[in-house]
Amino acid sequence: MSPLHFTFTAMFTLSLLGLTFYRTHLLSALLCLESIMLSLFLAFSLCALKFDSSAFSVAPMILLTFSACEASIGLALLVATVRTHGTDQLQNFNVLQC
Amino acid sequence: MKYLLFLLLFLLILGVVGVASNPSPGFAALSLVMVAGSGCSLLAGQGGYFLALILFLIYLGGMLVVFAYSVAFTGSDYVEGWGTRRISLAAAGYLLLVWGGGVILSTNLNEEFWTVGASFGEFMSLEYSLVGVAHLYMGGGWLLVAGAWALLLVLLAVLELVRGASRGAVRVV
Repeated sequence: MSPLHFTFTAMFTLSLLGLTFYRTHLLSALLCLESIMLSLFLAFSLCALKFDSSAFSVAPMILLTFSACEASIGLALLVATVRTHGTDQLQNFNVLQC
Repeated sequence: MKYLLFLLLFLLILGVVGVASNPSPGFAALSLVMVAGSGCSLLAGQGGYFLALILFLIYLGGMLVVFAYSVAFTGSDYVEGWGTRRISLAAAGYLLLVWGGGVILSTNLNEEFWTVGASFGEFMSLEYSLVGVAHLYMGGGWLLVAGAWALLLVLLAVLELVRGASRGAVRVV
């Protein structure tokens, strides 16, 4: 596996592991999700650049657009959670009602 | 040039290990900024100046700024960095995983950086990533409409989520 390809695979896998094993803060999970999106963006962009393909350069832009949508929804959920529970720490989410 | 590329790839992995070891969100956001910065340098070094600019403007300047002030209102009294035992052990474990994966998956370290193809042209008169965005406006018109509609929809969804008061997804306050 070439170093570039290995780097993107490792970035994606590490961020996925960080998303799986997050402990205290909800925002840590959102940041790991952002790093997953960043690794995909870099992989798409370098694929488009290395293959000298101009039409495939659309893909990183669209990926970034939908990643922005997803990040804003995640942060809105975080804001709503902080407003009711007072903090975003997972140990406080022990009451089911809002 | 190869050494610079290796350095950038190393900074990428180091930054992602810093995010994935789950420190306090402020440190994780800082590490993500470093990842985005080195990724941007990687893109610019390969000739994709427009995509590097988009990454800096939209990702760092738009999305990560919002994450930074979200970190501010979820502040905690006990801030953990990479000096804590749990986080430094997690980071060391992830680095060991990357190193082990590299040892197992690397076949020949003298091969090309990218397995497929070779760059034929040294002199590019067009910048392909910029031409690609023109494709988005020209042939990919419906995709542009779909992206804009998704953004508008997400704006309305976010407004509904954080409305609070008597309506909205999470009430009480």
